[in-house]
Amino acid sequence: MNDVVLPAMPELAGLYRQAVVGAVLRRAGRRSPASALPEVRHHASGGPVDRERLTAFQHLVGQAARDAVPSAHVHTLAFPVAMSVMARPDFPLPLLGMVHLSNTVVQARALRVGEKFESVAYAENLSPHRSGTSVDLVTKVSVDGEPIWTGRSVYLARGVRTAGGRKEHPEPSPDGSPGTSPAAGGDKSDDALPGSADAFTPPVPTAQWHLASDTGRAYAAVSGDWNPIHLSAPSARLLGMKRAIAHGVYLAARMVELAEPASPDAVSWGVDFLSPALLPGTLAVAVRPGEAPGGSVRRTEVTGWAPGAKRPSFTGWVTGQAVDPASP
Amino acid sequence: MSNQPGAGAGTTTVRNAVVIGGNRIPFARSGGAYAQSSNKDMLIAALDGLVARFGLQGERVGQVAAGAVLKHSRDFNLTREAVLGSALSASTPAYDLQQACATGLETVVGLANKIKLGQIDSGIAGGVDSASDAPIVVSEGLRRVLLDLSRARTPKQKLAAVSRLRPRDLAPNAPTTGEPRTGLSMGEHQALTTAAWGITREAQDELAFSSHANLAAAYERGFFEDLMTPYRGLTRDANLRADTSLEKLAKLKPVFGAGLDTAATMTAGNSTPLTDGAAVVLLGSEDYARANNLPMLANVVDAEAAAVDFVNGQEGLLMAPVYAMPRLLQRNGLHFDDFDFFEIHEAFASTVLSSIAAWESEKFCRTRLGLDGALGKIDRSKLNVNGSSLAAGHPFAATGGRIVASLAKALAEKGSGRGLISVCAAGGQGVVAILEAR
Repeated sequence: MNDVVLPAMPELAGLYRQAVVGAVLRRAGRRSPASALPEVRHHASGGPVDRERLTAFQHLVGQAARDAVPSAHVHTLAFPVAMSVMARPDFPLPLLGMVHLSNTVVQARALRVGEKFESVAYAENLSPHRSGTSVDLVTKVSVDGEPIWTGRSVYLARGVRTAGGRKEHPEPSPDGSPGTSPAAGGDKSDDALPGSADAFTPPVPTAQWHLASDTGRAYAAVSGDWNPIHLSAPSARLLGMKRAIAHGVYLAARMVELAEPASPDAVSWGVDFLSPALLPGTLAVAVRPGEAPGGSVRRTEVTGWAPGAKRPSFTGWVTGQAVDPASP
Repeated sequence: MSNQPGAGAGTTTVRNAVVIGGNRIPFARSGGAYAQSSNKDMLIAALDGLVARFGLQGERVGQVAAGAVLKHSRDFNLTREAVLGSALSASTPAYDLQQACATGLETVVGLANKIKLGQIDSGIAGGVDSASDAPIVVSEGLRRVLLDLSRARTPKQKLAAVSRLRPRDLAPNAPTTGEPRTGLSMGEHQALTTAAWGITREAQDELAFSSHANLAAAYERGFFEDLMTPYRGLTRDANLRADTSLEKLAKLKPVFGAGLDTAATMTAGNSTPLTDGAAVVLLGSEDYARANNLPMLANVVDAEAAAVDFVNGQEGLLMAPVYAMPRLLQRNGLHFDDFDFFEIHEAFASTVLSSIAAWESEKFCRTRLGLDGALGKIDRSKLNVNGSSLAAGHPFAATGGRIVASLAKALAEKGSGRGLISVCAAGGQGVVAILEAR
């Protein structure tokens, strides 16, 4: 592994431009896709958080404007570092149009207003997926050398086959919810995923989220992530979506706020995105007590689905402890 | 102390309600550090600190009572929503209360009474206000049109509703400090009282100076360390001017009372600024405090509310506490001399000075209060010893919680004695209360 220390927190806009150039070069055959992940870790320092943007983020996802930075907001703060790894010329998958499959976050303590942080990101688990190729982006955040936050995001490049992929990526298996096929969030048609239909029996809804047509733009404004698939129907269609879709981290942030509103220092959560939440739209949401596999950790299970949909938009879990689901 | 003569006299056998502690966020000037924070945000921030300080995570508290004066209609359940967003157990009930600037003190009185009667064992009282994030209301004309529009069924009806809209209807209405019945601002009302009692500019500036000096000294000795949680970068009240002087205060231009025959004396220095903030107080029975190994700072002894007819010019808008005071003292068999601390809310310096002058006036006390003579003198060295609203700022509903927590701590530090609280409020109302050391 090589360590690359970035001079500053990268700007997402520049990374998206880089991605567009990469896509053009790829299409023109000027750049042949790499077959393996770059053996590199990107480091960048960030913070302190912009208070006004933090407050806007908190209000958008229904959270009180506390001095503790929401764990989902930490994702948005460190996301440019992970994105800079994916925007590298030697990254084997095209960044544009990648679909967010899942997130897990383990937070030992909250980042606080006024604190600076260091973040490191790298890619691993380049894996064949039935709809393409998936990859894990791991991001770690620390304050003065103290690790406080680890996030793992799994992305899917649809229709891309790489020679260097290792074992098949383990299918997301959110505990207790049926229909856990690894769905491609951005597929145009529900039929693209064999075996997922008819398996989902909606639970009793306990909440309802109205997602306005400007949800994607509002989230972009507070997260800095202006990915076109979230902004408008025309910009989303350019990248193969039916309509604009809600940002996965926006849904995750609302899920965490609903389940653990008091925002404890220690919090862990995971979410699998099974079908896109189209904008505008309404999601039925079920919040239920549950436990982690093995029964050792009590947690809140959250499922969100569009009424009448064949599978959930997302399934997730939240617990007020720092527990890594990968190492129970 | 429950057998002490006077304590809780007027009521049948009740148990003590004690102040366990308090927490507030530093008060910010309007448009300052909390400009983006809502009432709910700030109330949760104050609750968060209280919960952390007293280990209330996941606990069911008997009841939470709080309120805000400038309140958006979407915050109809402000306090309950704040509880749901806090680390308190979601099974903690809550209610909103609104009594203008007496909101915070009235929540303390209400919950203390429930504790005394055994209805609850613990409670959190408080308040919050944001002058920055104030609700803005559409004009009455636009409101009527929108309501008619929502009821309209046919395009013709809809057109008829919209056609009544006039350009002037598009101007929004921001809340003001004007009294609904008189149209006069609170400052202009107080200017009438100030003139009637002949309160001088110098006396007002001296009181303002003392407020800043006392608050600065309280910070210096760490008095607020267990009464406050920093928020959004603020660690001290943003309005505090530790380096102010009588000379600086004397240079400020009067802002109220310019139209009166007498010289205008009320300035931005001796009037409270618009402020954002929140304050909460943890109350409990003695058994609750002991069972949870919590401190007991002071007893909430008794309280009295009063109101005056200011509309007909019979009395000053902010003079109601003057009337409540003798009733409270008589019921408890106490005199000013029996108190070691006086917390008279500094809405304006001249409000405090007018009240003190009224209690010292034999004529006023005989004719207006129905007493045999003057109620008494207040030892100024015991007045607002840790600063008050002129220095700290005055987020309307948060002031009661600030005062109760600070006074209870001062009494606990002293280890004996009593404290008297006086808070004036819009609408010609006021609440006074007695705390007692344990």
